[in-house]
Amino acid sequence: MPQVSAIQPTDEELLARVADGDRDAFGDLYQRYARAVLGLAIRRLGDRGRAEDAVQEAFASVWRAARSYKRERGPVAPWLYAVARNAIADRGRARTEPPAELADSPSDEPGPPEQAEQSWVAYRVHRAMEELPESERTVLELAYWSGLSQSEISDYLAIPLGTVKTRTRSGLRRLSEALEEELGES
Amino acid sequence: MSPRTPDFFDLVGDEGTPDELAQLRRAHDLLVAAGPPPELSPRLAEAPRAQSRSSVLPRRRRSAAFLLAAAVVASAFGIGLLIGNRDSSGFTQSRAIPMHGVGELASARATLGVGEQDSAGNYPLKMTVRGLPPLANGGWYELLLSKGGKPTLTCGSFASAKQGVTVRMSVPYDLSKFPTLFDGWVVVQREPTQHRNRLVMTT
Repeated sequence: MPQVSAIQPTDEELLARVADGDRDAFGDLYQRYARAVLGLAIRRLGDRGRAEDAVQEAFASVWRAARSYKRERGPVAPWLYAVARNAIADRGRARTEPPAELADSPSDEPGPPEQAEQSWVAYRVHRAMEELPESERTVLELAYWSGLSQSEISDYLAIPLGTVKTRTRSGLRRLSEALEEELGES
Repeated sequence: MSPRTPDFFDLVGDEGTPDELAQLRRAHDLLVAAGPPPELSPRLAEAPRAQSRSSVLPRRRRSAAFLLAAAVVASAFGIGLLIGNRDSSGFTQSRAIPMHGVGELASARATLGVGEQDSAGNYPLKMTVRGLPPLANGGWYELLLSKGGKPTLTCGSFASAKQGVTVRMSVPYDLSKFPTLFDGWVVVQREPTQHRNRLVMTT
């Protein structure tokens, strides 16, 4: 089974190459973050078509702004999140329809701070999943996002049930370690 | 339709120290809270074209690079003629599955080629489709495994063209389990702006 090898470039290395005009590195960085940024855009804009426009604008901004990234200021994920968030906000401001009238009664919907927190968490989780070894990521995706039971996953992937459980535990452990630094104790 | 939330202890069991279980629990809760990331439509399959900031080659060297590229293209064309119809990507089809359209698109036809499983467990797919109309407004088609006619696991998405299209995909599922775990394939047309998802092809 393929594993994430140590020779894969880090986000920081990829962004440094993007800053030097390396289109392959830009493509690799895009593949790592595109789904996370699309999820963020859909959550913020509520419309798939406009969200896709925002994703393209966000990565165009990443290409243009790559030289402004300073490694000593922190990892790429929050930097790229900020760039994407700005592009998405620009796309949100560009909408032409009039704003909806305010409701008289308080809404059950989470407020802007909570929405921002949820967006950041989802963005980081989706990005961290991309970093997992494929064997672990596949098992977690099938369990959490396709609704398959452990025995169904075992059948689909033709691996023993014990291996499914082992990969689930190791994937969750790796995910927790990847996220703890930025998300803190939850 | 959202998948059911898996039970934490069903997934990981109850072995381990409280600290270890708490660590796994945090990741579990985050995955549940985050939900699935959206699939990329064909429009977003590749990174947007990055505008050139500036050419790194001086003009004379650019001319030389152009001539070199032209020579490479010409020689590749010659090699292609010698090889004949060999699939340059290395795709070797082990079986072909016919698909047909349903409803308004009953005349649509497709051949789904299943390649040989690679060492990592992936099956390459090569699908040639005719008769599916191109979709406007960001719509796309999605190929899925099915069981009893019901779509189950996604295999990839694609855009169609008037003259037809050939697309390649790859899936990690064990396709040798056909027809025990799945008994067919379907294509679903997805048009988010129209809030429309409809089954348009089946095996």
